[in-house]
Amino acid sequence: MKRRITIDPITRLEGHGKIEIFLNEEGDVENVYLQVPELRGFEKFVVGRAAEDMPVILNRICGV
Amino acid sequence: MANKPKLAVYWAASCGGCEIALANLNEKLLEVLEHFDFVFCPCLLDTKYKDVEAMADGEIFITLFNGAIRNEENEHMAKILRKKSKILIAYGSCAYEGCIPGLGNMYHGDEILKAVFIDSPTTENPNKLLPMTKTETKDGVLTLPAFYEKVKTLSMVTEVDYYIPGCPPEPHKIWEVISFVVEKLSTGQSLPPKGAILGAGSSTVCIECDRKKENKKIKTFKRIYEIIPNSEICLLEQGIICMGIATRDGCGALCPKVNMPCTGCYGPPEDVLDQGAKMIAALGSVLDIGDTKGLSEEEINRRINEILNTIPDLVGTFYKYSLPGSILQGKIKGR
Repeated sequence: MKRRITIDPITRLEGHGKIEIFLNEEGDVENVYLQVPELRGFEKFVVGRAAEDMPVILNRICGV
Repeated sequence: MANKPKLAVYWAASCGGCEIALANLNEKLLEVLEHFDFVFCPCLLDTKYKDVEAMADGEIFITLFNGAIRNEENEHMAKILRKKSKILIAYGSCAYEGCIPGLGNMYHGDEILKAVFIDSPTTENPNKLLPMTKTETKDGVLTLPAFYEKVKTLSMVTEVDYYIPGCPPEPHKIWEVISFVVEKLSTGQSLPPKGAILGAGSSTVCIECDRKKENKKIKTFKRIYEIIPNSEICLLEQGIICMGIATRDGCGALCPKVNMPCTGCYGPPEDVLDQGAKMIAALGSVLDIGDTKGLSEEEINRRINEILNTIPDLVGTFYKYSLPGSILQGKIKGR
């Protein structure tokens, strides 16, 4: 029987992640999807800010 | 064991620094565990969303919720944890006032998606695909939470009992809150009124800063690379924008103590609605534009602007941690 296993969230790491595993009739893994449901958009909102602020802002990408 | 109250820690749009601040309680964590059963914390424990959803309403005693509300999943988890928790605490600046992810409120959510997935020079995406809430694959439908137009604070999406400010909150202050709650519970006393700010003072960072404060008259603002500040005199008096006068105390003035200006992470002081406005008002009274007697209004404006133009980024300076929780909440369309 085909099965779908959802691991949500992935734990003990920094950030958000979700894994979808699809099993075939034999119970073997047919396909796996890793999804990252999180986005904050540093790429956009640091543009135009003061260069000396980058160490203050960008260390908040990951505090772990 | 079974009768210990349950503690949960969750992150929405955050960096994980609030979890690390909690882990930095070090051996005191063992004392936390004496009083609480730690039931949910994706950073440290392997508990899944479905386990939380299966809990009874009010089963968790305290949830420390960190992170801002940037997408549908963040809001969904905020609402679930509200239902499952007796006490929901906005823990850290992101949940309290939006913090660094809140700088995204200078843009529409679509502009952010485009910058990240299409325009970014290090992203290869020839078909210009953007994340979708539903994707059909040969295996089945995959879903992602919708990315919101703007960042919201925790209290904008659900009812919050208390707030612990800081980016991140200082470990000794977290301990203060936890031991305070334990003491209240064990002696049968009632907890503070809803909406209280815990783990911080009610004044400003200046009261924790032992730099000499004399006469604030600022002729020009200096960026931190332009001078080596004197380590004993108030940074603001030296022309460096130090947010201390518009920021709640509680951190112990950590940044000014190492010759760095306060950037405002503990949020506005007691009874101040808008941290940036408070700082701008404070600066208004210390700008030194010389003798204005007989000067035309244009000349006065010119002198004020000359000083203000030495601040390169007004939003990033005055609202670095508080934009979504401020009065304007971000950039207003068309302005």
